[in-house]
Amino acid sequence: MNPYIAVAALVFVVGMMFTLPLVPALLELRRKSDALPLSVVQQNAGEIRHFANSFRTYIKGLEPIMQRCIVSGTTDTGTLSDGEEYVVLGRVDEPLVRRLAERDAIHPVLVMAGVDLVVPPEATFSKDIYARGQFEGGEKSSYRAILGERSVHLGNASRVLRWVHAVGEFTADLGCQLYGRISSDLLIRLHADCSFLRVNAPRIEIGPSASIPDAPLRGSSIPSGTGLGTSPRFLHDGDFEILAGQVIRSNLVIRGNLHIQSGVRVCGSVKSVKDMVIEDGVSVEGSLISTRTMRIGPHCAIHGPVIAERGLAIANGTRCGTLEYPTTVSAPEIEVEEGVVVFGTLWAREHGHVVARA
Amino acid sequence: MIYVLYAIVLVICIYTLRHYFFTLNRLFGFQRHPYIDIDTADWPPVTVLVAAHNEEKVIANVLSALMTVKYPEDKMLVVPVNDRSTDRTREIIDKFVEEFPGRIQPFHRTSGKGGKAAALKDAMELVDTEVILIFDADYIPGAGLIKQLVAPFFDLEVGGVMGRVVPMNAGTNLLTRLLDLERSGGYQVDQQARMNLRLVPQHGGTVAGVRLSALREIGGWNENSLTEDTDLTYRLLLNGWKTAYQNRSECYEEVPENWPVRIKQIMRWAKGHNQAMVTYSLRLLLGKHRATLRERIDGTLLLGVYVMAPITLVGWALALGVFYQGVAPLHGVIALLSITAYAALGNLAAFFEIAAASRLDGTRKRICLLPFLILGFAVSIFSVSRAAVSQVSDLVTGAEFHWDKTERFRKVL
Repeated sequence: MNPYIAVAALVFVVGMMFTLPLVPALLELRRKSDALPLSVVQQNAGEIRHFANSFRTYIKGLEPIMQRCIVSGTTDTGTLSDGEEYVVLGRVDEPLVRRLAERDAIHPVLVMAGVDLVVPPEATFSKDIYARGQFEGGEKSSYRAILGERSVHLGNASRVLRWVHAVGEFTADLGCQLYGRISSDLLIRLHADCSFLRVNAPRIEIGPSASIPDAPLRGSSIPSGTGLGTSPRFLHDGDFEILAGQVIRSNLVIRGNLHIQSGVRVCGSVKSVKDMVIEDGVSVEGSLISTRTMRIGPHCAIHGPVIAERGLAIANGTRCGTLEYPTTVSAPEIEVEEGVVVFGTLWAREHGHVVARA
Repeated sequence: MIYVLYAIVLVICIYTLRHYFFTLNRLFGFQRHPYIDIDTADWPPVTVLVAAHNEEKVIANVLSALMTVKYPEDKMLVVPVNDRSTDRTREIIDKFVEEFPGRIQPFHRTSGKGGKAAALKDAMELVDTEVILIFDADYIPGAGLIKQLVAPFFDLEVGGVMGRVVPMNAGTNLLTRLLDLERSGGYQVDQQARMNLRLVPQHGGTVAGVRLSALREIGGWNENSLTEDTDLTYRLLLNGWKTAYQNRSECYEEVPENWPVRIKQIMRWAKGHNQAMVTYSLRLLLGKHRATLRERIDGTLLLGVYVMAPITLVGWALALGVFYQGVAPLHGVIALLSITAYAALGNLAAFFEIAAASRLDGTRKRICLLPFLILGFAVSIFSVSRAAVSQVSDLVTGAEFHWDKTERFRKVL
């Protein structure tokens, strides 16, 4: 081969080797097809009612139709501008309503009820439901999402796939599976064997009506921002145990396992870097944080946030937060016994489960 | 000479492994976001410090954003720290003070030592809340950000908190696009992996928070530090406090849009970081304090990241020297180490990290720009090395550090 051609070929091949990987880069630089700033969560960050609020805005255009249906006692059907089919119910004895009442039916339409809505057992609603009156769900029914202006009650073994927001009370009977966000402006009650992920209400009662008073922790004047730990910090490396009945007047950081025996009162916050076990009747005026698992015994009172990075179990009679100072209880896995009351947010990232009282 | 080269290759290998370890952890490991779920709480009073030195182009944006965040109004006080500004910064701040009475308390500083740490130190006279948040003036916090940055302080181990920084002018030109990728790798992978592995997430000094009692315990802001954030990270660590990183607490920032500004910025960071390395690395690694073994190792490696640039350049020079001297001992081993070193020098590990970060961010096309990062790295390696050399010469000549404010590119409102 001619040496000049060989050198030229070599230069060409090497040049291509350097250039080719840059072709997609040059194209992207010129086209700017993915040059917008990363989409950062802005206005709705963490707002549990975001979907409910968005849905309320979405159906705003149907308000005149609903008013007309309520006044005239009729029903109406149609299609929204995005192609979504809807049915507006102004009375309960219309043929459309009767069709909704059929057992095992699947309803792929958005339902807007201007009246109380009673859903039959084993119905499936694959689109969102808006209920201006009471919502009464039958057993083993499945819902995509429900927005209730009054109370919402789900029958045994029902399923919610995305969200529920009740302006009134929300109740889930035995064995309901609640995926997504469940919120109420008043009260949420979850019965035994329910599973849940994210739940928020001023008062969340687990099991039948709990008789836990919304009283402040005994004899304490709790400053704003409790759980923050402005009092002295006691730092301990290794496992630690607090004996029954003691009163601890500082914040505790334990870099090991922590065992708090019954009746202890902690006038501060508690953190353990390993597992934490709390026996019955313990009160904590601040936060409880464990980087592994946490087991809270019966009849405890926790004022600040309760966070466990692996798993959390709460026994009956325990109260987290107060009506005046709601809080967050969070862990990937939460097992909560009947008789527990949480004021604020109960958030199981992976799986939450209500267990019947032993 | 050859043994120095061996040592350099070994150090480069350690950093390469570190990159891979962090990236694989982010892709396949257990992810820690323990505080992000705290959305309901008895929220504490908080002071938000906004550091501003000649920030007329951006100060209105950050104050407007802070006035609309979702945090109890009666529990949040915004303190713009106007540090000797000579432009319209003071006028703009005072306008906001009038518009939002009781919610903004300005701190107009007209004299004193230069630098952010010195300004923040002086502004502390206005702070009496346990939680302090810090923003630079070019940042735009979202509605939920304040709560997200406050939430980790319910953990008593946490002395500092750091959120994620996202460039808002990413699409402006090649430099901003490269910085967007770098930031993505640095936060989405590096910082979060450190959080996952309980290592040393770094306090960034903006989109960040600090606990007042922890700050007092460590002696307050260090006005002699060139990078008060790095300095804070290590003093907190040495005193038994942790810095928590909140990857989902994102905030927009403006990145430099031209190379001279970028070079000045990275040189300042390098000098500050190296200053912290000299001050804290031995104490951290060998001293008697409460940091764990893994924190000691990671913290020391983190302190060394900027000194790796001149070390790499020395490695290149030595490798050439060895080659031309005809020294080629341990052929096989040298070859193996050379390949590994190349992977690090060519930053395959860093490329992998950034590619993983882009994947985690769910972005697609911007990853095509990855080959151009070599340009960014080349500029960085020489700038950072220059910073190290000038730092040493300053030490010899006794020259004082001149504070260069990062230029802003937004239009004046």
